[in-house]
Amino acid sequence: MTHLSMEALLSLREAGLEPGDAAAREHLDGCPGCRAELERLHQRVARLKALPTLRPARDRWPQVAARVRQERRARRQRAGGLIGLAAAASIALGVALGGTRGGSPAGEQEIRLAMARSQALESALNQFHPEDRVLDGRTAGIAQELEDRIARVDRELELTELLDRRPRDEQLLKLWRERVGLLDALVDVHVTHASNVGL
Amino acid sequence: MTGTRVMDSYLLANADSVVARARAGDETALEELYRAFEAPVYNLARRICRTTEDAEDVLQETFFEVCRSIGRYREEGSLWGWVRTIAASKALMRLRRNKYRETDELQDDVMGHRREDTALRMDLEAALERLSETARAVVWLHDVEGYTHDEIANMMGKTPSFSKSQLARAHRRLRRWLGEEVEV
Repeated sequence: MTHLSMEALLSLREAGLEPGDAAAREHLDGCPGCRAELERLHQRVARLKALPTLRPARDRWPQVAARVRQERRARRQRAGGLIGLAAAASIALGVALGGTRGGSPAGEQEIRLAMARSQALESALNQFHPEDRVLDGRTAGIAQELEDRIARVDRELELTELLDRRPRDEQLLKLWRERVGLLDALVDVHVTHASNVGL
Repeated sequence: MTGTRVMDSYLLANADSVVARARAGDETALEELYRAFEAPVYNLARRICRTTEDAEDVLQETFFEVCRSIGRYREEGSLWGWVRTIAASKALMRLRRNKYRETDELQDDVMGHRREDTALRMDLEAALERLSETARAVVWLHDVEGYTHDEIANMMGKTPSFSKSQLARAHRRLRRWLGEEVEV
């Protein structure tokens, strides 16, 4: 008489029927040896589950916390770097525009206004010290997305410097306005959060 | 409250509010998560990894990942289920890095039943420890943690058949080492 293999016995413990399970069950009904083997398997698994919970000899939280803090610091520095980069780009572009000959004065004026507005919003934002604030998950997600989009605009602003004068001025105006809109939204997010939590 | 939520409540009182605070970057809440799940994560890691040092490293890596990714936890399953999957993945990653025990199992296959096997009558802890790391991981994840063969295969980058055959082979060995083999 051929007894059930370990594979067949294990398969009988699974929730869904596998091919061959019906035949295995039929065999089991008529074979006390295989029934005993299945019972030993059940008991072995029960004993595995009952093994004591092993605990670490050392507390690893300090290392985890230190790494989390280190990563947060690095993230803040990256964010600070982006804002600094944007400010540097503003100055560089201001100089470039100052030297512009033959561009549309109305266009230049609009770009200057957008840049000034952008710098004012950045100053307002810095007064909230956003990097030191604890935000709820949703607010943090929105702020992060806005910061990412501002960083993308800053990269585009850098690339736009390489364009010829006329398309450059149009593109600069569009990007600076977009940057102002994003910064405005970011300030709103922080101001709204600060007023909600009574700060 | 679902069964999985009961498990979270058992491990961590006010799990929902702790998660909300952890997402907002509250370090005290992150530590609460660590304290609640430290023992089950370490236990899982230690049952899979060969050494206590490896298990402690897995514990640390797991919680660093938990702190970093808590914002992405969607609350669709239990918190413990989410943490456990991170821990299992980290432990299996460590196994892939330290492949030093697989040779013992191969040697065992070549030699057939070792003479001392029948005499040892090991206890379950010792027998489990003696399994190869892959086999032990499959036994623990399937029989104790309740993962399916499909899930284990997915985590290990293998097929469900691989997981099934590892489990069957491991149980044959355990049966022998525990002195449960019966002549029929």
